[in-house]
Amino acid sequence: MSDTAVVIENLTKVFNRGVGHKLFTAVKDVSFSVKAGEVYGLIGPNGSGKSTTMKVLLGLLAPTHGKTSIFGMDSQLVESRRAVGFLPENPYFYKHLTGMETVLFFGKLCGMSGKKLHDQAKELLKLTGMEGAADRRLGGYSKGMLQRIGLAQALVHEPQLLVLDEPTAGVDPAGSRRIRDLILDCKARGITVLVTSHLLEQLQEVCDRIGIMSQGQMVSEGPIEDLISVENQTEFVLENATPELLQQIRDLVASKPGSGTLLSMGHPHTTLERMFLKVTEEDERLEATRTKT
Amino acid sequence: MSSSYKSFSPSRIWALTMSTVTQLLRMRILVFLLVISVVVVGASFAFPTFNAAQQLKMLKDVCFGLEQLFAYVIAMVATALLLPKDVEDRTLYTILAKPVPRLDYLLGKLFGVLIVIGGGLVLLDIMLSGVLWIKQGYVLEDTLAGLHMQLGGTPPPEAIAAATADVEKQGLTWALHVGVLAIFLKASVLVSLTLLISCIATSTLFSVITSFCFFIMGHGETLFREYFFKGGTAWWQYLAAAVLAIFCPDLSLFDVVDAVTEGRAVLLTDALHMTGIGLLYTGGYMVVAYLLFVEKEL
Repeated sequence: MSDTAVVIENLTKVFNRGVGHKLFTAVKDVSFSVKAGEVYGLIGPNGSGKSTTMKVLLGLLAPTHGKTSIFGMDSQLVESRRAVGFLPENPYFYKHLTGMETVLFFGKLCGMSGKKLHDQAKELLKLTGMEGAADRRLGGYSKGMLQRIGLAQALVHEPQLLVLDEPTAGVDPAGSRRIRDLILDCKARGITVLVTSHLLEQLQEVCDRIGIMSQGQMVSEGPIEDLISVENQTEFVLENATPELLQQIRDLVASKPGSGTLLSMGHPHTTLERMFLKVTEEDERLEATRTKT
Repeated sequence: MSSSYKSFSPSRIWALTMSTVTQLLRMRILVFLLVISVVVVGASFAFPTFNAAQQLKMLKDVCFGLEQLFAYVIAMVATALLLPKDVEDRTLYTILAKPVPRLDYLLGKLFGVLIVIGGGLVLLDIMLSGVLWIKQGYVLEDTLAGLHMQLGGTPPPEAIAAATADVEKQGLTWALHVGVLAIFLKASVLVSLTLLISCIATSTLFSVITSFCFFIMGHGETLFREYFFKGGTAWWQYLAAAVLAIFCPDLSLFDVVDAVTEGRAVLLTDALHMTGIGLLYTGGYMVVAYLLFVEKEL
């Protein structure tokens, strides 16, 4: 198997919107690649061409120009999808199926059957935290639960590439955190992940490299550390520092003009997400203790 | 990866077929079947003032009418819902993002609808056969009793045989099952045609209306053919007749229901010919549907 999981080469996609309408270029000469085993984030505003790029990669759309491949195989071939697990944005599955039936159905589509498929489905439902709702129909699932079932079906045939389109859209912070952990877990298992999200902070936590698209073009691309680090600034965090020590630091910087400028000093902020998780986890722990007693 | 890829996989098609069957059954099709079954049973008690042959013919007319209504409505309306709904719900993305060839998807939908229609028709056929057999027994008993009274004693064997033959001709015969087969074959053609239309349609309503138009035109397809071969009219009329003659199925080939409800026999060769034509139409429409669907951008 190729060392490069995904190759997008000079991809252009033009839509013909019918008689009397101008041609619409959704993606224009986009190129990037994703190495096997890495987590690659594709970000950009709505209408920037991310979903179109993913659809071409998955063979749902044909490229106007350029080539796309998955592990060295032309991604327009159905066979290439053997290596891919896909979670669409706001996934809708057959509402008449239960969680377990959904995972089994998608497993069967991948040629799986028998005990192996059942065991795999059970394991994935456990992994995604959906064990308890496995026998409930999808019609009664929340958005977050659908997203997690979506992840389970995407992983059912043990793909080498996981394509996630806005995996945390509409999911609460705890659910988002769980999905983030699952992405990291996939990475640890050697699965390549290609993910789009509007929640940039989350992408920052999981991605090795990112590509930023705007108006159908790739405007910036590279390792996340290179893209977000501010080369001419240094940050250090002290714990339990006394006011005297802080004053000494200020004085030291001021005494050496030309050696550097102190831009800011103060208490670091936690993120709203971390605070939310801390508070809700504490509340759940208290509730559990109360129930026990 | 867990399994090797097969470009044609019966188990994958079966998974899609069963999913379609479940999807259709959730559309409350069983309730529709139940209502028809109640009407079938009710019809067996109706028309008490008619003579023996008329009673049996009316029962068959009502039942075959309902069977046709069931088969053709499901064939056009339910099929038209399947593909656009999967596109709208984006379920199709998730399915086709798996190693699923588009042909397998279409075949799964086709077989799913055919299983539901076929299953429903078999159930209704069993019910009609049962009701007709019981009704036939009562009618024959009444006819012989009437003959007995009319002649004031035991009727001669020839008269009994003639009366029995008359009732049996209108009763349960093999030709009735051929009539059900004809309904199924016509429904199969409609399903494949509706799937084809769904591949280019942007809405369910368009698919239903277009299929219904083809259904109506299909019963007069021979007129388009005659018009085409006669020629001598404006070129656009000639062209329209040619297009309709080519694309429209000749549904009148499956019209044996009137004959079987009148008690006429259907030859085995005619039944086989009709089956062959049905398979050809269904196969042909599915090939065109696949060629359109494989190029469809989602």
